[in-house]
Amino acid sequence: MKIKKPNIGILLFVLVGVVPFAAAFVYALLYSFGVIGVANNGFTFQFWESVLASGTFFTSLRYSFMIALVAVLISVGGALWITLKFREQLEKRFLSFIIYLPLAIPGIVTGFFTFQLFSKGGFFARISHKLGFITEASQFPDLVNDGLAIGIIFSFITMIMPFFVLLFLNVYKNERVEELSILAQSLGASANQITQRVFLPILIKKTWVLIVLYFIFLLGAYEVPLILGQESPQMLSVLIIQEIKQYDLDKISEGYVVAVLYTLIVSIAAIVLFLPKKNRAYAN
Amino acid sequence: MFLEVQHIVKSFGAEKVVKDLSFSLQAKQTLSILGKSGCGKTTMLKTIGGLISPDSGKILLNGVDITETKPEKRNIVYLYQEDLLFPHLNAFENIAFGLRIKKIPEGLIKEKVQHMLHSLELEGQADKMPTQLSGGQRQRVSFGRAISTNPSLLLLDEPFGSLDTGTRQRMQELFKKLTEEFDITSLFVTHDLKEAVLMGNQIGFMQDGVLKVYEDKKDFIQDPQTGVQSEIEFWGGLK
Amino acid sequence: MRINWKPFVLSLAVLLILFPFVYLVFLSLASEWRFPDVLPSYIGFKNWVTVFGSETGLLQSFFSSLLISLSVAIFSTTSGFLISKAVFYHPKKRTLTLLAYFPYILAPVVFAACLSFFFLKMGLFGNMTGVVVAQFIIAFPYALLFFSSFWNEKVKSYEDLVATLGGNKWQTYTKVLLPLAKGLLLICFFQTFLISWFEYGLTSIIGIGKVQTLTIKVFLFIKETNYYYGALSCCLLIFPPVVLLYFNKRYVFKKLV
Repeated sequence: MKIKKPNIGILLFVLVGVVPFAAAFVYALLYSFGVIGVANNGFTFQFWESVLASGTFFTSLRYSFMIALVAVLISVGGALWITLKFREQLEKRFLSFIIYLPLAIPGIVTGFFTFQLFSKGGFFARISHKLGFITEASQFPDLVNDGLAIGIIFSFITMIMPFFVLLFLNVYKNERVEELSILAQSLGASANQITQRVFLPILIKKTWVLIVLYFIFLLGAYEVPLILGQESPQMLSVLIIQEIKQYDLDKISEGYVVAVLYTLIVSIAAIVLFLPKKNRAYAN
Repeated sequence: MFLEVQHIVKSFGAEKVVKDLSFSLQAKQTLSILGKSGCGKTTMLKTIGGLISPDSGKILLNGVDITETKPEKRNIVYLYQEDLLFPHLNAFENIAFGLRIKKIPEGLIKEKVQHMLHSLELEGQADKMPTQLSGGQRQRVSFGRAISTNPSLLLLDEPFGSLDTGTRQRMQELFKKLTEEFDITSLFVTHDLKEAVLMGNQIGFMQDGVLKVYEDKKDFIQDPQTGVQSEIEFWGGLK
Repeated sequence: MRINWKPFVLSLAVLLILFPFVYLVFLSLASEWRFPDVLPSYIGFKNWVTVFGSETGLLQSFFSSLLISLSVAIFSTTSGFLISKAVFYHPKKRTLTLLAYFPYILAPVVFAACLSFFFLKMGLFGNMTGVVVAQFIIAFPYALLFFSSFWNEKVKSYEDLVATLGGNKWQTYTKVLLPLAKGLLLICFFQTFLISWFEYGLTSIIGIGKVQTLTIKVFLFIKETNYYYGALSCCLLIFPPVVLLYFNKRYVFKKLV
C-alpha cells in the first residue's frame, strides 16, 4: 500500500529520537575542539591533548569499568544462584510480591540509604559502638566515599540483583528450563550437569544482551557515585558533569572531550549489541 | 463477468511473484485454486483484496475498475489461514465487527448475527471468548464475521489449513452450504488436491506465479501437471 | 540428617528487602539522633507535620514531580506507540532500532549536559516545560523500543482484515489496535512514569535547581545533612511505586529483550 503516513512517523521518529542525540553529540564535539564555547577561539587539539595526557579520563574509565564489572558479575552470579536454589519458593504468593519491592527504590534513595547504613556515623557504626567494636566514629572502616568503591558496588548490587532474579525467573519459565532439565535427567544427566549444560547456557544465552546493557548503564551511573564516590578517581558521569560545570573555562572544554569519548564508547557498544544481524533469529 | 482480472503483474524486488495473471469469474461461483506454498497465491489474493498494489494490470468488479480503490472501499473480504479472531471480543462481537464498522442499527445487527450463529451451528457459543472456542468453531466465527458484511467477493487463503482432517471435512461441507445460502462469490486457495476439486465450481492451478484456469474439471484431471493422474495411479496401484 | 537451610536464607532475604523501607520510615520519624546512640532521642511525627505545614516545600515538590511524571508518561507512551508503528513496519526497521538505542544507552545526565545549550536557547532552561521536554527525550526511546514486539505480522494481518471488512484508519485504531495494545500501553505508561519519577541527573541540569522534583529535594537535604527530611522525601519517592507494585507487578517490571 502506498500511504504517506509512515513517512510522517519516520520523520517524527528522527525529530524526537535521532536529532537530540545528534545535536548533543555535535555540540560536545565542537566544544571539545574549541570551535564553540565562551572563551574558545577556534579549532584546537589543545583540550584533547591535555585530557589524553593527564590520564584522568583513562583512570576514570578504568575505575568505572571495574566497578560496573564487579557489580554486574556479583549481581548476575548471585541472581543465578538464587534462581537455581529458590525458584520454587519465590513463586509463592507472598515472596513473589516481596522480590519486586526493590524495584521501587531509585538510585538516589539507594545511595542515600547506603550512606545512612555504612558511613562513620551510620547505623552499623552505632551498632559497632554499642557492641564495643569501636569507641569512636573514626575507627569505623571506610565503606562509603572509599577508595575501593565498596559503597558504590554495594548500592549497584542491591539495585540490579533483584532485577536479574526476576529476569531469570521469567526466562526459566518461558524457555521451559524445567521440562528441559527433566528431559536431560532422563537422558542420564546429573544435577551438576543439568546446571552446567542446561540451566546456565539457556539463561545466559537469553539474557546476555541485557546483562551487557546493564553493565553500560552502570558505567554511566550518576546518582550513586555522586553520593558515595570519592574525590578522585570518579566515575565517568560524575567526572564529566563536574568538569562541565566548572568555572575554569578550559576545564569545560575538557569535560566535553570526556563526554565525547564516553558517548563514542557507549555508541560503539550499542552498535556491537544491536547492529542488524541477519542470523540473530532470536532477537526480538 | 462479475470479477475480471487482467494482466496483473507483481514483483518483490527482483522476484516476479505474480506473472501476467488473467482470469474471470461469474457471480455466485467459487473458483478453487490449487497451488503449493510459495507459488504466488497469497500475493494474488492480497492484490485482489487491495492489500498489495500490483505493478501493472487491472481488476474489474461488476464492471467497475477497482485497481486503485482502497481495501476498505472494495467490499472484498480476505480470510487468512489463521482465524484471526479479535482476542478482546467474544464470538458474537467478532461476527458483528464488520456490521458495527458499517454503523448498522443495533437491532438489525442482533438479528443478523443470531441468524449467522444459527447457520454456522454456533448456537450457545455467542458469549464465549476466542480462547474458549475450538479450532473449528473459531474458523466458523471467522467465516461468519466475513460473510455477515455481505461482501461482493470472498478471498479464502487456505482457510482450513490448520484444522485436523475430520474438522476439515465438516468445514468443507458447511462452507458449501453457506455459499449457497448467502450467494457467495469466492476464490478458494488450497494446496489440497481433493479440497480443490470438492470446493470449486471451477478449478485453477497455480505454479510459479502463473495461473491456469480449466474450462472443465475433466481438463484439470487430465492435466499431468496438477498431480491428479499420479494420485489416481497411486490408488489404482494398490488394487 | 541434613538441615534445610533454605527457610533461614529466605527469611533473611525478606528481612533485608524490607529493611530499607522500615529504616527510611523510621529515619523520617527521627530527630536529634546523635552518634553513637543506637536509638534517636526523638521519635514522632514532628518532621511529617512540618512538611505538611509546607515549610520546606516538600509537598509542592511531590505535586510538581507528579505533574512532570504524568506529562512525560502520557507524551512518551502516546508518541512511542504511534511512532513505533511507522518504525517497526519500515523495511529498515533494524537500522532505525539501532538509532533509537543511542539515546537509550547514554547516561541521561551526560545527554542533558550536552543538550543544555539548546534548551537555554529555546527558553527551556530552569522551568518545568524544559524538564518535561528533556525527560520526554529520554523516555521516548524507551517507549518506542517497548512496542517493538507489538508490531508483528499478526497485528499487520489484523489491520488488513479490518480494512477488508470496511474499517477506516480511525476504526482500526479504536476498535482493534488500542484494545489489543491496552495492557502494553498501561505498562509502558507506568514504566515511563517511573523513569521520570526516579530521574535526578538530567533534571538537576535542565531544571538548574529551580524545578524542585522529589529527587532534587532528596539530594538537597543530603547536602544540607538534613537526613531526617531526606528520609522523608525518600518515603514520598518510593511510596507511589510500591502502590503500583501492589496493583500490578508488571507495572514496575518489564524486561526489555
